[in-house]
Amino acid sequence: MKFLNARSAAVATAAMLVSIYGATAAAQQDPQVTAIRDEATRTVVMEQLSIARDRGIPREPLLSRALEGVAKNASSSTIRSAMAALQKRLTRAHDLLGASSTVDELSAGADALSVGVPDKTLKAMREAAPRRSIAVELGVLTELVARHVSPKKASQMILDLMARGATGAQLTALNAAVQSDVAAGLTPEAALERHGRGILSLLPLPTPAFNGNPRPR
Amino acid sequence: MIDDLTEQDELIERVARALKPLPPLNARATAGILAAVRTRSAQTPSAWSRAVEWLRQPNFSVATAGMLAAAALAIGFVTRGAITPAGPAALATEGNVSAPVMPAANTPSAVREIPVPITFDAAGASNVSIVGDFNDWNSAAAPLKRFGANGPWTTTVKVTPGRHLYAFMVDGKLVVDPRAPSTRDLDYGGEASVMMVPTP
Repeated sequence: MKFLNARSAAVATAAMLVSIYGATAAAQQDPQVTAIRDEATRTVVMEQLSIARDRGIPREPLLSRALEGVAKNASSSTIRSAMAALQKRLTRAHDLLGASSTVDELSAGADALSVGVPDKTLKAMREAAPRRSIAVELGVLTELVARHVSPKKASQMILDLMARGATGAQLTALNAAVQSDVAAGLTPEAALERHGRGILSLLPLPTPAFNGNPRPR
Repeated sequence: MIDDLTEQDELIERVARALKPLPPLNARATAGILAAVRTRSAQTPSAWSRAVEWLRQPNFSVATAGMLAAAALAIGFVTRGAITPAGPAALATEGNVSAPVMPAANTPSAVREIPVPITFDAAGASNVSIVGDFNDWNSAAAPLKRFGANGPWTTTVKVTPGRHLYAFMVDGKLVVDPRAPSTRDLDYGGEASVMMVPTP
């Protein structure tokens, strides 16, 4: 069995070539990309994903954004612009949220930046919760600002709630309550103040940070 | 005094024996060895001739084939995507920063997905699905089923905690959810519904 004949050698060589082709082709021809019927759009998406890969930007949100454009019958140039803009926001979000951020956090951070949340807010939110996902907090903040709460006031309220340990459920409830009040005619900031204070009143006061000194007797 | 002289004689004799030259080499034996070495080096083929010989008469073991295939796969994966239609030159044409800004980021989302029940009223529709950033806007990913003859369309989608944009695909047309808030899409135009999913 040690030595095989020439036919076996040919088969093995063919298998080797197929392996090389398959590995490179698989990278280039993501089924979701190849499923895009319009050739110009397909080329644009592959270009943008290639740029993202070179920069280390996660491809999932970019591909999703491209496929959203395809579902909405957007032109290839529009899809290119949308993907390029998202790449910039993802890069910025990465700089602000840190290298250990998840794809969900980066997407949420990019969305927050798109509605006008200040850079320093993203940094402060990451510092407030360095070891857990803040995708929900970023999402609620994005929604509040998108509903015309000023970015500064919305940022401060979310940071206050995070400092007091508000849960994701409390934050999404806050968002729903604010939207309901706005629909009823209240101004967005008055609605945020009302419901934000309400949740804060239910949360324990923040414990002072341990400064290393022994407790006084 | 006599003893000293005797000892010196023995020492001189030992030195003389040590310095005595080796017996002359057997010329015939030497010639035989050199001839054998010449023959052996003439018989050892070069790497090139070995390769040509292998191609002419392949000696192919299963282990060799496996190693070659594994190497080919490794090369394929390392160079994956290196040859793309646009290539790295696209960076320059886009006028963007060329330096990588993030570490290789295929960071998988470690967050658990939450099942979210979906309901949509579309009495006259024959085909309804939900599309959004959670399923890459794929209309085949999450079709809704009609509840009863004229009831609402329902399904359940699994979504990670956070804010998500979505819409319904009703008989090939995108429709926003009338029960959810919506947001304007500045890139593509139109609107998308917003879903907020809390952490469990």
